[in-house]
Amino acid sequence: MAVTTLSQAVRDHVSEGDTVFIGGFGHCVPFAAGHEIIRQGKRNLTLTRTGADILIDQLIAGGCVSRLIVGYIGNPGIGLAHAFRRALEAGSLMLEEWTNFTLTLRLHAGRIGAPFLPARALRAGDMPRHIANLATVTCPYTGAVLTAVPALCPDVALVHAQRADEDGNVQLWGIDGDTREGALASRKIIATVEEIVPADLVRRSPELTILPAHRVSALSVVPGGAHPSYVHGYYTRDDARFAEYDRLSRRQDELDAFLAAHVHGVADREAYLGQFPLTDLNWLAHHRPGQRP
Amino acid sequence: MSTEIESRNLVLAAALELRDDETCFVGIGIPSLAAMLAKRTHAPRAHLIYESGGIGADPQVPPLSTGSPCIAENAAMLGDCLDVFGELQAGRIDLGLLSAAQVDRFGNLNSTVIGRYESPRLRLVGSGGAHDIASLAKQVVILMPHEPRRFVPQVDFITSPGHSLAGNERAAAGLRGGPSALITGRGRFTFARGEMVLAEVFAPFTVDDALEGLSWQVPVEDTVMRRSDFAPAAAAAYARLDRLPTGTG
Repeated sequence: MAVTTLSQAVRDHVSEGDTVFIGGFGHCVPFAAGHEIIRQGKRNLTLTRTGADILIDQLIAGGCVSRLIVGYIGNPGIGLAHAFRRALEAGSLMLEEWTNFTLTLRLHAGRIGAPFLPARALRAGDMPRHIANLATVTCPYTGAVLTAVPALCPDVALVHAQRADEDGNVQLWGIDGDTREGALASRKIIATVEEIVPADLVRRSPELTILPAHRVSALSVVPGGAHPSYVHGYYTRDDARFAEYDRLSRRQDELDAFLAAHVHGVADREAYLGQFPLTDLNWLAHHRPGQRP
Repeated sequence: MSTEIESRNLVLAAALELRDDETCFVGIGIPSLAAMLAKRTHAPRAHLIYESGGIGADPQVPPLSTGSPCIAENAAMLGDCLDVFGELQAGRIDLGLLSAAQVDRFGNLNSTVIGRYESPRLRLVGSGGAHDIASLAKQVVILMPHEPRRFVPQVDFITSPGHSLAGNERAAAGLRGGPSALITGRGRFTFARGEMVLAEVFAPFTVDDALEGLSWQVPVEDTVMRRSDFAPAAAAAYARLDRLPTGTG
């Protein structure tokens, strides 16, 4: 594991055609890492996570994505993912749709080295018909017929978290969602964190560590790396940006202008934060303390 | 269009579906408002569970995302997706509250696509956890504004299965209870015989209002209950909730 810049981490560990797990279930969405992928023009990626939000929509708009494996894709609480919708309706994007539970199970199977896991979901309705080669399995103990959910092991995971030590032990608290399952199912992990802290601080609260150093391929310090999502204890969710994205992403030209100004038009996250300062998003101005010692 | 009184009726009636001490899997929007209202009125010990892993959640503002700060803040426990969907699959979730773009007479829900799957007229967000909840919660209540275009004899795509499987086929496929009720701003429908039947109307709406614009002959119970109003304390709690800003939380 090496502490490096985010651009170096993406250059070294994301290859064209990779399957990339995007961490962050509303919380700690790795926007900075995703934007770096767009800037570097990585192509032909398969993106996966359960609930996909506007970062994945931006990666589609940025021309990086040929295939999605998701349980949901939209702008949470607001509406549809417009770049996704346009790409799908134009036939330029392949979609493999699971449910949030069964996709979590796919990642869990990958994580624990099981070839598949049995599930009681995807047994009725129209979804099972649209998943290629979906198999069932008969329980050898009860005879019950269950869905055999195949393991999914992404090539690389992007995870943003509160902090890590210099060895690369990554600590995250607050909402996890499918982040830990997806990251530990992946062959490589690129982690970005708000701050590096001394190792003895991590070792005083090892229960907060979600990724141990030996699983982390690259670590970068990227304060503000989850904006406009949030980092529990550091800054709150910039809800207005999600609403604004709903408006601007309805038209391809406006979305292109957004990417030109705020992704391609900035060198890194520090420059991005010059355009979107976190000043009004201070955690303590909106919430009770969420900071750990 | 849904009026203010319909929005109010929908949330107030939906809240009554939660019982104290029961576990409820909650989604964003009307389901969250209803669950928040129930906790502030008759069901303070209802255990709200969100797919992000929030368990015993008690959001102080209506959340925009199941991963929003207000789900994490004030929760009894933060697990992960595997924890909460595991509880669901194990049969330990009493009630799921769901909404969708389309519903049909059997309570099948569509949140995937308008038009054909392969050539959509409008592509929607997909299942999220909705399919799982519809399959595996002990009981499901569907919350829909009274917008006739959302009510169709047959949904374009069954994201979340209702009672279209005849008789005990649902159980044979390993699915649990399914939809027990559908609530609009005008009335409450049940699925006692597997099909949507009007059972109750909320004043000032009549039976005709509750069925207005629906494109098939919806059966009506012999005796339709008429709710003249909701408990004053619940109405007051709703008014307070309705004034809260959504977001930054």
